Amino acid sequence: MQAAQAGDMRAYERLLREITPRLRQIVRKRRQFFTAEEVEDLVQEILLSIHAVRATYDPNRPFMPWLSTIAHNRLIDSARRFYRGKSNEVQMDELPVTFADDWANIENEEYRDPEELTIAIKGLPEGQRKAIEMLKLREMSLKEAAAASGTTIGALKISIHRAVLNLRKALSKE
Amino acid sequence: MDTDRLIASLTEDADPVQRLPSPWVRTALWFAMAVPYVAVIVMMMVPRDDLAVKFTDFRYLVEQIAALCTAIGAAVAAFQSIVPGYDRRFLLLPLVPLSVWLASVGEGCVEAWLRGGAFQDFTSDFLCIPAIALVGTLPAVAMALMLRKGAPLWPHASAALGGLAAAGLGNFGLRLFHGQDASLMVLVWQVGTVFMLTVLCGWAGRLLLDWRPVVARVRRKLAAH
Repeated sequence: MQAAQAGDMRAYERLLREITPRLRQIVRKRRQFFTAEEVEDLVQEILLSIHAVRATYDPNRPFMPWLSTIAHNRLIDSARRFYRGKSNEVQMDELPVTFADDWANIENEEYRDPEELTIAIKGLPEGQRKAIEMLKLREMSLKEAAAASGTTIGALKISIHRAVLNLRKALSKE
Repeated sequence: MDTDRLIASLTEDADPVQRLPSPWVRTALWFAMAVPYVAVIVMMMVPRDDLAVKFTDFRYLVEQIAALCTAIGAAVAAFQSIVPGYDRRFLLLPLVPLSVWLASVGEGCVEAWLRGGAFQDFTSDFLCIPAIALVGTLPAVAMALMLRKGAPLWPHASAALGGLAAAGLGNFGLRLFHGQDASLMVLVWQVGTVFMLTVLCGWAGRLLLDWRPVVARVRRKLAAH
């Protein structure tokens, strides 16, 4: 470490390679429930910490207590963060989400032909076709569409509902 | 990143580093920085008229020396706490002068109580809080900067010890210009302020000393290479 402090890259690399298995052993022993990946992450954190505070090593004092203090301190620090993270997590059941639900994806998967859809819309009764054009294609609000067509919002809602059913029926036949 | 590659990157980045001096040397450096500032503040606030007389007052001397030793002991302990490998018992180092200080002030309180005048002289003296904070400001800033050079092993303890060092020195300076020697007043307003500042600093320890920014700096440097 003394050589590493003086900028000797080779000595530093040798030291880090020598202490890494020892650190791995300490981490595995103290964190037996950790996966291999988690052990390696923590070993790397300790190596980074050693690098960051290498100026604090005093060559007149033994190296191992210096090293093990950092290792144990980082172990405690990681445990603190682990439990703090756990306490902030809320366990939830896996619920069917709209995007993952098969029923929600039928139209996206089956009705991909815009030409087919245009023909099906043209084949709708006039009231339903106008409702689809105004509310779905021109994206008018129910209020605007009702004012433009001279009908009521309730009638438009019925028309659009029937139109969607008819379109689904027509497209699934084809 | 795989550990072998990390080691290779770290060794490539291994510029020579200036070794941190021993905690005693760092305490001497901190003290050498702090004392002129305290002296300037004392001169600006005008030293108390009876200062020469007070230097012959045994209790005053004991309390001032104990406050000074508490500051020094706390500074040594704070600087040791950021060096890996030291025994954690050294964190108790300032307790020795601190107990002398408290015992002296406590004895004064008991004496006043036995005389029956302990509570008659008790008044509010809020000036002590900003005064100690003012005298301790530069020592506290210097202490914080010096502590950040080390390893953040026990952030709350290191910061509390640093705070005790700065506040102890602040109280030492305060009693050179503030003519309040009634033991109960000293205990409540001066020692109380020192404790309050120590606790506040300890509470803020993790804001000052934390592994995350220390390691993040290394990561940023590695990423920049």
